[in-house]
Amino acid sequence: MANLKDIQRQIKSVSNTQKTTRAMKLVSTAKLRRAEELAKRSRLYAEKMNQVIAEIAGRIECSKIGGIENRCFTPIENPKVVDIVFVTADKGLCGGFNIQTIKAVNKLLKEYKEQDVKVRLRGIGKKGIEFFNYNETEMFDTVTNLSSKPDKERSDKFIETSIEDYKDGKIDALHIVYNGYKNMITQELHVNKVLPVDTTSFDCNTVQSSSMLEIEAEDEEKMLDSLVNKYVGYSMYYSLIDSVAAEHSARMQAMDTATNNAKEMVKSLNVEFNKARQAAITTELIEIISGVESMK
Amino acid sequence: MDTFKLEILTPNGEIFNGEVLNVVLPGEEGEFGVLAGHASVTTLLEAGVVDVEKEDKSVESILINWGVAQVDEEKVIILVEGAVAIRGENENEIADALEEAKKLISDIADANPAIASVSAKIESAAQGLL
Repeated sequence: MANLKDIQRQIKSVSNTQKTTRAMKLVSTAKLRRAEELAKRSRLYAEKMNQVIAEIAGRIECSKIGGIENRCFTPIENPKVVDIVFVTADKGLCGGFNIQTIKAVNKLLKEYKEQDVKVRLRGIGKKGIEFFNYNETEMFDTVTNLSSKPDKERSDKFIETSIEDYKDGKIDALHIVYNGYKNMITQELHVNKVLPVDTTSFDCNTVQSSSMLEIEAEDEEKMLDSLVNKYVGYSMYYSLIDSVAAEHSARMQAMDTATNNAKEMVKSLNVEFNKARQAAITTELIEIISGVESMK
Repeated sequence: MDTFKLEILTPNGEIFNGEVLNVVLPGEEGEFGVLAGHASVTTLLEAGVVDVEKEDKSVESILINWGVAQVDEEKVIILVEGAVAIRGENENEIADALEEAKKLISDIADANPAIASVSAKIESAAQGLL
């Protein structure tokens, strides 16, 4: 039989934990609201941006207009070096949020390893970085404090290296892996191949009939360049925004479950405590009664 | 006159969405106007002012710092990085919008020497509203 005092101490400790998790849940709920708002407003822009890029890419692919040769729009057959950018949270206690992203990165790493492709891993977010450091996976560079506080300038600066290297031919593909926000209770894992722009999903037949694309011949290179920069930059930034929203929703959920578990635990501990108390009383009574009996 | 759909999107949401008669865009190689039924074109926009003529013939000016415009027969979609619409219910709101626009201009002024004319343009647009 557990000691009464021990049980009492345990109850106290569990209910303290419960207080903490409940507070964390409330904080996440408040933060989620803001992050969600931001993500929602940006989503429209991100979608349209993808659409415009996909359309341009598709048209270049289908009609080869003006003999445009831009590395960003040409599928590369045998990649030698690829960049993988992953976004994880800076903090834990958010359920399987980080590990899902890490697993997806590992899968991608394995796939490339089998094809004998060199991977430059670029990490955003402390948790993912810690994981790969622990597993002694080499990383090209890392950034912290960016995934919890998305900042357009820093994100642009970070991704610029990849864009430049891609244009210079130092890398042959760029992936962004992150866990995005779907709704309050679900997160959605995204493994986006940002460069080269994916042209396979575009159906040539539907384009030809509808309308034509006209790009001023002189500045087409400049235009595409500038557009790709903005596109990749924004993809990166949107990944961060989406990831923050997802992080908060995941944490909210994890903390909710934790609070409920703590509640259950306090309940069962209380039952145990009452039983122990009753047992103690009964023992005492028996002792008194048997004492009285023996004196007769 | 026919109208067409115009959408102006910024990373922070939609700034304009509706039927318009005419829109003048600050293209890389000079300003150009778009009417309904314009041939498809995709082009970059410079920092400048987008003049939108709405269905009731009123003109709204929107300051942008960079953009890409996708024009086709029925609609025009403009993706911009930063934008401020010069509009408001009363003097105060217009003054606020003007203030915000000036801030955006000063942010991009270093990169673009031709920005002074843009500044003058939004001033006059605001004057027109007052």
